[in-house]
Amino acid sequence: MTPITNSKAQIDASLVNAVVSATTNVLRTMASTEAVLKEVKAEKDYRPYGDISAVIGISGDNGEGMFALSFPLELVNLIASRLLGVSPDKISSEDRCDAVGELVNMISGSTKSDLSQQNNTIYKLSLPTVIQGRDHEISSRPKNNPYLVVIFESEGKTFGLQVSFKTY
Amino acid sequence: MKFLIADDAGVMRKIISRALIELNALPENIVEAENGKQAVEEAHKHSFSLIFMDWNMPEMLGIDAVAAIRAAGIKSPILMVTTEGEKANVVRAIQTGATNYLVKPFSPDDIKEKITQLIGPIPVQTPQDAALAKAQALDLERGKVTLE
Repeated sequence: MTPITNSKAQIDASLVNAVVSATTNVLRTMASTEAVLKEVKAEKDYRPYGDISAVIGISGDNGEGMFALSFPLELVNLIASRLLGVSPDKISSEDRCDAVGELVNMISGSTKSDLSQQNNTIYKLSLPTVIQGRDHEISSRPKNNPYLVVIFESEGKTFGLQVSFKTY
Repeated sequence: MKFLIADDAGVMRKIISRALIELNALPENIVEAENGKQAVEEAHKHSFSLIFMDWNMPEMLGIDAVAAIRAAGIKSPILMVTTEGEKANVVRAIQTGATNYLVKPFSPDDIKEKITQLIGPIPVQTPQDAALAKAQALDLERGKVTLE
């Protein structure tokens, strides 16, 4: 994985492709939900997004970083209901947290496999952590390092994936 | 037939349970574990027709649980169900004792196909059949058979 710079022209295309492909594939396969890419940008730092986020750490020989997947409540309820095959009003807070955690696990896992193959490097993932609340902060995250922000639209709502990787 | 699902994500345990139930498994015959350590403990307690094993779990990794289960001489088939899709990890899992491998994400048809491939069709079992099997197992543990 190469560093993400704060210049749009220098966003790592292989990372963007891997992230977009993993996200659309995970949602389609596991939850029969289509996600459409809306925006790709580089930001100087992480920005709070949505009502609930799942965060997972990634580390490799050449650096470390994180994936943060954030959803509005209404959309995550719908996706969790499709994952579990129940109606959205039956989704508990625990189901919601579990669903977002497992989604970021699968998306980061697929991205990791893609990048490992491309770069011939072994990456490892941490266990996911879930944070809830409007404009929630992620305190344990790469600081002073640019973030790749990928915004998707699904079922008329947007959700975001933010990825940061700091090289040693 | 009894099944063990080891995954730290409750949502994934529910997805696999649903696939098993749709293939005729009885809910009372599905045991869940939240980490590798619990999985090893459960594998010692019951004889499972199939064990589903995640890789990245707290307490003990799934790959270490597979090694511990095989070291104990337990021969139940183990299906790794994981995001670890790299070829090296697949090879490592099979060498450690996993019977087969399914990379997440998967569709309901993907996992049902793997289950059938590994153990064949699950016979239809009524709750009465399950109760009878449980009673027989209990009596065998006590060293006597008292079924009427």
